[in-house]
Amino acid sequence: MSDRVPDCTVFLDGSAVRAVAGEPVAVGLWAAGVRVLSRSVKYHRPRAAFCLAGHCGACLMRIDGQPNVKACQTALREGQRIEHQNSWPAGEHDLLGAADAVFPRGMDHHTMFTSPRAANALLRKMVHRLGGLGRLPERGGELAALPSGRRRKVDVAVIGAGPAGLAAALTCAQDGKRSVVVYDEQDRPGGSLLSHPRFGIAAADALAAEARAVGVELRCHAAAIAWYPEDDGGLLAIDDGGVLTKLTARRYIYATGSYDVNALFENNDRPGIWAARAVGLLATRYRVKLAGRTAILGDGAYAHALAEALASAGSNVEHLASERVLRARGRLWVSGLDLEGGRRVRCDRVAVAAVPAPASELARQHGAAVELRAKGGGFACLVDGRGATRVDQVYACGDVCGFVGVEAARAHGHSVGRAVAESLA
Amino acid sequence: MSLPRETDVLIVGGGVMGLGIAYHLAKNGVRDVVVLERSYLNYGASGRNGGGVRMQWSTETNIRLMQESIELCKRFAGELKINIWLRQGGYLFLARAEAERARMERNIALQNRCGVPTRLISPAEAKRIVPELEVSELVCAAHNPRDGIVFPWPFLWGYANQAAARGVAICPFTSVERIVPTGAGFRVQTSRGEVRAQRIVNAAGAWSPEVAKLVGIELPNRPHRHEILSTEPLKPFLKPMVSLLSSGLYFSQSMRGEIVTGISVEDHDDGHVKMGSRLQFLTKVARELVRVMPRLSQVKVLRQWAGPYDVSPDGNPIVGEAPSVPGFYLCCGFVGHGFMMAPVVTKYYGEFLAGSARPAFFDPWRPTRFAEGTLVKEEMILG
Amino acid sequence: MKTIVCRCEDVTLDDVRHALALGFRDLEEVKRYTGLGTGPCQGKECMALCGFILAERGCVPVPFTTRPPVAAVALGTLARGDEEG
Ligand SMILES: Cc1cc2nc3c(=O)[nH]c(=O)nc-3n(C[C@H](O)[C@H](O)[C@H](O)COP(=O)(O)OP(=O)(O)OC[C@H]3O[C@@H](n4cnc5c(N)ncnc54)[C@H](O)[C@@H]3O)c2cc1C
Ligand code: FES
Repeated sequence: MSDRVPDCTVFLDGSAVRAVAGEPVAVGLWAAGVRVLSRSVKYHRPRAAFCLAGHCGACLMRIDGQPNVKACQTALREGQRIEHQNSWPAGEHDLLGAADAVFPRGMDHHTMFTSPRAANALLRKMVHRLGGLGRLPERGGELAALPSGRRRKVDVAVIGAGPAGLAAALTCAQDGKRSVVVYDEQDRPGGSLLSHPRFGIAAADALAAEARAVGVELRCHAAAIAWYPEDDGGLLAIDDGGVLTKLTARRYIYATGSYDVNALFENNDRPGIWAARAVGLLATRYRVKLAGRTAILGDGAYAHALAEALASAGSNVEHLASERVLRARGRLWVSGLDLEGGRRVRCDRVAVAAVPAPASELARQHGAAVELRAKGGGFACLVDGRGATRVDQVYACGDVCGFVGVEAARAHGHSVGRAVAESLA
Repeated sequence: MSLPRETDVLIVGGGVMGLGIAYHLAKNGVRDVVVLERSYLNYGASGRNGGGVRMQWSTETNIRLMQESIELCKRFAGELKINIWLRQGGYLFLARAEAERARMERNIALQNRCGVPTRLISPAEAKRIVPELEVSELVCAAHNPRDGIVFPWPFLWGYANQAAARGVAICPFTSVERIVPTGAGFRVQTSRGEVRAQRIVNAAGAWSPEVAKLVGIELPNRPHRHEILSTEPLKPFLKPMVSLLSSGLYFSQSMRGEIVTGISVEDHDDGHVKMGSRLQFLTKVARELVRVMPRLSQVKVLRQWAGPYDVSPDGNPIVGEAPSVPGFYLCCGFVGHGFMMAPVVTKYYGEFLAGSARPAFFDPWRPTRFAEGTLVKEEMILG
Repeated sequence: MKTIVCRCEDVTLDDVRHALALGFRDLEEVKRYTGLGTGPCQGKECMALCGFILAERGCVPVPFTTRPPVAAVALGTLARGDEEG
């Protein structure tokens, strides 16, 4: 399965680690046997990647002197300096982890040690000392050396290059009558296609190529950061590879997909507990061999597809479709799950296939209404049959309107793309 | 909380002012008090501010009040049983223009006379306090190591809980819609029914002109949007709150490690409270910040928000009984420094409403000063 | 043992329940009291989860205000953003 050949050396807390250049730091370190990437902010709990999509904040490390960098979104390259954060003396042996045992269920920091005054002063001093995550960046930049901004106007702006966004863009641009640009924060187009074992890179690249062929401009490493209704009569701000772009469009299509969400059980944040789609990425996109046993939690279509794919690749899978998990075992890495009813499952990783939550923030900023839907995974955008939100010129398609999965998202994208094209005709 | 039918004191606004007054009333025996808040507690300016507390002011009233207010902050956790995370890391005001030096010297002399240990320092000394500062554009700085920052939200919960424990009715999600003076008090129509009150305190912050209008009073204060942001959490490195007099930029590092920074941006004044965020603010504050601290250029912004300053014509608050409507009290016009003033102001205000003597600051801050033309200009207003 | 709801800020299920028991009823309030959703991911993973916990208690959750930026952005990207190159 694996054709990964380490071809570069990076330094983790000063020690050399062999890795595959271009892979995300989080993936390369994990493949090299590194378990703990960081320590959590309050209790110094061990943390490692969960979503591999840049959304959960579990993988923050210091990379080349920059603090709080997402290790899952940063490509490995020769000579890179990677450091654990918020742990002392080392990521796997953090003495401050004692805080976790002192507050076994959580804490109300508001009402803790409010008196006597000396205890309160000590508390404040400690919290201040221990607060924060990464250290200040080593280097900054003079104002003059920083990039200036850009302004852009297009006919159709699509946010998100997943199946819905690519399909919408492609359908919308097909007749060659309008400019369509797709922005995506990831390093390549594809979105949830990339993590789906039945699709993967090939399907993502094919759809992207189809879109490019009809003139769609695809921009990666370009995150839409906010809709600002009051600046210049309304603009979408994009962080396009470190350059601020002020974008206006005649139509906006939000195809921002969904975020991976964890399930609720004790120690659900243990390293080795991944979002199912992250395990999908490991297997499908990064082609890492999944040695040992994978427990998959969840009963959705994706859980089944993943279970099937891993099993057919010869991996050992325990699919817990409907069992209730009480707690995870393992100190620095998950070693098993305790299920309701007393059953215990041994495993080397867990893939949580909870329904992902719609990434509806941008659409909400742009005025779209949302509704909490259990089946949709969270706050889903409300759209009509054409994908139109309650705001003129603002459309949404795919998982952002409630989780539907890859195929349905693509179909929705096509139909919304068509409606948007018609609205401009 | 069910809405009482009748009360002695009805307070409009569940911000730090309204809740602080309610607590001090109850503490001094007046428990027949209702606080009405249109939204959740912390919805207004009190839940959106930078938490700066300082003694560096340009009038003796403000300096002395703030000395006392910081003393009260030190006792807050013990008295109100909630942490407010006071950290006295100092305030460092930076001057870029020679003209600012004279003003600084004058204010420092007054502060020293009041016992505040502020010092005029050189750019080099400022750099010793904050090594990451770019000081080549500076002419001098003012530093008081006893100023500091607090975490705002718990003040409101602390006042609210302790007031409620003494019998005060705290009613969030209840807005005041009409007020009818009856001669012997007021009939107050709210979104959840009617309350009769002997006395009303208008502590509605930037909304106070709207509330005053309900009894026919035209207040001279105007809402002004003030934007602010918070960065990713960093390990502690920045001790004082730093502020540039020329641009109004300020920044500090919170207990959580985030850099919290704000600056004022032009806005059109239509008399309405505006709380939307703008890109213009983000670019302006980023530019100023990187200019004084280039090391921050790769630090990431996590979130931005806005809140309303409640701006009075001379930068000083408006307090006391409204001359034209007996029983209607004002506690507003605190611009961008009401949070730090609240511990001391609400203490004396509450005691006064409970029967104690009229506090001294009621005189310079009286509502009639605008008509009289006897304004006391406060120079150390930021943003 | 902890069940984590908000990973960035180490907010546990018990913390959320505690806030509900104190009378906080909507996402804006639970966010402020527990710190949930105020860390590096700004609620991407935990807001919906907390919404469902509230819904179980009969509340009708409304998402907390989406503060810009939706993705963290460097000050250096913004500082000269108004000069158009
Ligand atoms: C961004 C920002 C930064 C700031 N930084 C600082 C700082 O560093 N230090 C400092 O000391 N101060 C600072 N301030 C100022 C400080 O926050 C305010 O002066 C202070 O919080 C005012 O408190 P308040 O109770 O008067 O008003 P608010 O907190 O605004 O409370 C008024 C309340 O009244 C309610 N209300 C309005 N109308 C009605 C109605 N009809 N019925 C019922 N309720 C109603 C509102 O919902 C609101 O909650 C800052 C302000 C802002 C906006
Ligand atoms: S953000 Fe990197 S693993 Fe989730």
